[in-house]
Amino acid sequence: MVIKLWDGFIRGFHWLLVVVLAGLWYTGGSVDYLEINDTVIEFVDVHHKLGLIMLALILTRIIWGVVGSQPARFSTFLKGPKAIIGYIKSPFSKEHLTHNPGGGIIVVIMLAMLLAQAITGLFSDDAIFFRGPLASTVSNDVVRLLTSYHKQAFDFILAIIALHIVAIFVYLLMKKNLISPMITGKKAITSSATEALKQRHGGYGFILLAVNLIWIFWWLG
Amino acid sequence: MMRFTSILTLAATAAITLTALQFSAPAKADAFAEADEAVKYRQGAFSLIRENFGHMAGMVRGEIEFDAESFQKRAEALKHLSYIPFDGFSGAGAGITDGSDALPGIWENWDDFNDKAEAFKEAAHELARASEDASLRELRPKFMAAARTCQQCHDEYRAD
Repeated sequence: MVIKLWDGFIRGFHWLLVVVLAGLWYTGGSVDYLEINDTVIEFVDVHHKLGLIMLALILTRIIWGVVGSQPARFSTFLKGPKAIIGYIKSPFSKEHLTHNPGGGIIVVIMLAMLLAQAITGLFSDDAIFFRGPLASTVSNDVVRLLTSYHKQAFDFILAIIALHIVAIFVYLLMKKNLISPMITGKKAITSSATEALKQRHGGYGFILLAVNLIWIFWWLG
Repeated sequence: MMRFTSILTLAATAAITLTALQFSAPAKADAFAEADEAVKYRQGAFSLIRENFGHMAGMVRGEIEFDAESFQKRAEALKHLSYIPFDGFSGAGAGITDGSDALPGIWENWDDFNDKAEAFKEAAHELARASEDASLRELRPKFMAAARTCQQCHDEYRAD
């Protein structure tokens, strides 16, 4: 049986986040620029703008996790410690429609880490020529602390991404393809009697994203 | 008699202690003050460097309109400032990391630190020279090269 799992917003969010994160990684901590025709693109400015896009993506995903499609809701995939331990003990014994209990907690950690990363970036100062748009609203000590966090926490984010990719490939080896549902939105399931997961049109998510992009760029751009 | 001797000993001890304190206390305070001054000195210099650098960065990034004269003034200032902070890392400032973002690695890899300082001075000179008759387009790579010398040193020797 094939069911609709991930709505259009979740898929768009996921792959946009991949692109934005790659760009942030590439432009982060680099004093460099590109010159295309007569237009100069400073890496630090690109990093700033991509960071704002990421902030909008994360905020929208959090809202979608409350009001969006059922598989995307925190209430659907956030499980108690018992379920998480059970999952760690035997990860492949049960079929999980949405994020499994282990993955669910990772999703929340990842969203929190990325949110913190975007926010600390707004208060950061590279001591050369970039000052975050909110850096002047706090004391110098706070700027130093948040800048230092921003630099060091990224390694942790990379570690979570690595764990995520490894998990995807382990599932692939177990003949469970988690990649194609994230592209097509559809998932083939073996268990027959499952309640249909309520879907919301992904377009609402994109409208929400556009609204978030507008106020974030207007305020912090 | 016994009493007199002990009073005398006490007085002598007190006198010696007081004298010793008088001589040692200011000396110690001076050492602290000097280290503190050295840190303030180099921080002050870096703060001026950043101020001038930031103004040029504004033009390079298109936040401020490019003005050749103003750019040259800043580049010239940066050239002279580029020498200043490094004296604060030797002498009284040697090894001092208290109240500072300087990392101990500076004094562990002193030659490398000096190489990086030299690279910065050279880049600042290069930028000042170019600013005499170059367009913004020609100045940009020189400015970014100078910025990179800042970063290369910060990556190693400045606390995150």
